[in-house]
Amino acid sequence: MKLLVTGAGGFLGRHVVAAATKAGHEVRAVVRPKSPASAAWAEDPAIEVFRADLRTRAGLGGICDGIDCVVHLAAAKSGDFYDQFAGTVIATENLLGEMVEAEVGQIVLTSSFAVYEYLRRPARSEISEESPLAVDPEARDEYCRTKLLQEQLVRKAAEEWGWSHMILRPGVIYGRDNLWNGRVGFPINSRWWVCTAPFSTVPLTYVENCADAIVKAAERTADNVAQVVNVVDDDLPNHWIYLRRFASLQPVRPGVIPLPWIVLRVLAGTASFVNRLALRNSGKLPGLLVPARVHARCKPMRYPTKYVRHVIAFRMSCGWEVVGRKADGTSSTS
Amino acid sequence: MALVGAGKIAEQHLLALKKVEGVELAGVCDLSPALAEYTARSHGVEAWFTDYHAMLDACRPDVVHILTPPATHEPFARECLERGLHVLVEKPVALSLQAFEDLWALARSRGLRLVENQNYRFNDPIQRLRAIVARGDIGEVEEVEVRMVLGIRGGGRYADENLPHASHRLPAGVLHEFISHLAYLLLAFMSDGDTRERKISAAWLNQGGGDLFKYDSLDAQIITANAHGHLRFSCHQWPDSFSVTVRGSRGLASAELFHPSVRVVKVRPGGQHLSPLMNGLAEAGTLVRSGFGSIWRKIRNRTAYEGLQAFVAGTYEAIRTGSEPPVTYGDMERTLRLIDDLLAEENRL
Repeated sequence: MKLLVTGAGGFLGRHVVAAATKAGHEVRAVVRPKSPASAAWAEDPAIEVFRADLRTRAGLGGICDGIDCVVHLAAAKSGDFYDQFAGTVIATENLLGEMVEAEVGQIVLTSSFAVYEYLRRPARSEISEESPLAVDPEARDEYCRTKLLQEQLVRKAAEEWGWSHMILRPGVIYGRDNLWNGRVGFPINSRWWVCTAPFSTVPLTYVENCADAIVKAAERTADNVAQVVNVVDDDLPNHWIYLRRFASLQPVRPGVIPLPWIVLRVLAGTASFVNRLALRNSGKLPGLLVPARVHARCKPMRYPTKYVRHVIAFRMSCGWEVVGRKADGTSSTS
Repeated sequence: MALVGAGKIAEQHLLALKKVEGVELAGVCDLSPALAEYTARSHGVEAWFTDYHAMLDACRPDVVHILTPPATHEPFARECLERGLHVLVEKPVALSLQAFEDLWALARSRGLRLVENQNYRFNDPIQRLRAIVARGDIGEVEEVEVRMVLGIRGGGRYADENLPHASHRLPAGVLHEFISHLAYLLLAFMSDGDTRERKISAAWLNQGGGDLFKYDSLDAQIITANAHGHLRFSCHQWPDSFSVTVRGSRGLASAELFHPSVRVVKVRPGGQHLSPLMNGLAEAGTLVRSGFGSIWRKIRNRTAYEGLQAFVAGTYEAIRTGSEPPVTYGDMERTLRLIDDLLAEENRL
């Protein structure tokens, strides 16, 4: 197949390009004009680098020509709502317009676990493909809002044009260049960190595992086997284990203070009550004091993996224990 | 009313409009269908468009808010005025004084309102500063300094090299986005007298280098028969701030807009011997209030756009009653004239 991979210069994108070429596919890798592209790509005949910024239609001409399936990874994770809207929603809108022109009929969208509802779900319930989406996105963060809109755009276009599509929702993607994860805690200073909800499970997916899943999804999209697939690894650590592992990599190992889920829940609930009572919900509070956000980040939930294994024949190449060493560089088996 | 351009500033206009009675949002237009639809639906409106001609035809608004990039303000405003619609436009209303004068002539010939958003005029610290000056607390105004520090080179939309912001193509580059604010606040406190005798020197610099930014720094002096003005824009300092300082014959007063506060140094009860102590205590009180006030404002989700509410309300009141709008022809004309003069003096300091 010939795949168009957007966001190819990013952390996940580089691994998806590698996984796709390893699986024998040709890749057109979309890299932003001023972002670095892997030097090795220039010498690989299976990889064509396409320089463009998806936030504008100018410069996208021909981007989808000859493509069998679009693998859309590009999204904005930082900035205000309008920055993220441009980087995620408008970028997708422009890409879909190009797909229509080039008559490409398959797309794999990489979304996120951020789109699910957590606040109104009981603790320790499953987050599966059938789980409800965020009921009140405005109460969540910009990322959740824009990823939901992005999914809507892709579904609508796929329906309108009769495309095959699959939406993959990976959990927390980690790897050697991307180990820090804000949901497991936060630093007070260089010597002390706080671990939030230490017994909650981190829905991890190792970047190479996730990239393999995305390529497999591209291969299976035309079969219309599924429209939504969650991607998480099998053996998942809890926040405490993950943060302690990350702390051990620091030049000076910080002390880690646990902040239990029940305390976080009570704090956020109390702040929300005061906000409602005294400020008529107009107060803007830090994320840890906003119930919808703290539940999404820290609530203990379960993350089944049967579906992803069954639907796209995804087999995790590395488990947490191996990957933990691989990702932090303490293993030579990378 | 209808809205052309649904970006970040549109959100502020729509928030302000919620508090103005008798105003109904008829339609939203943006080049991005997703953004137009999202903005319209978020405000309970079904009509969204990607072509503003189509919106004006379909919605037939009385007032149009033009919230698009600066280079489009003048042509869009012209078309709206030709269609007999009142126009409320983001700054700068036009990219030159002449272009503004042409628009104004058109608005006047049709009996329509053309009003530029000069929102910071209506922020509480500026209103308080104006009251202090008007009461004569600091005597005759001798010097006005308007200073803005914004770390726009460190990241964000203006520093994005992958998709250079449209403002980089303006006559003053990205500074054109901010120069109106500096200019109208300076002129709010400084009589410019006979502009033919006004002396201006302006250094427009690109201190950070590179090709993306035309200028990232401005240091300008404006000298009139009665007062000295100083405009300063920098994106190489910390922390971000936006202040207006007025020095008079009997004291000084300063307003900070990003962390709202007003400080006054003047002759206090107790005479010249006790005034330094009294002023020190007053300043300490101001700083403490400002510190707590900043946190409180953050919690209350108050932004530096607070003045937009009064501006929008005043503009609609003027449209309804035929009274003078909160930003007059004179306010806009003087602002555009000063910007023209500053640009003409490019790099001659």
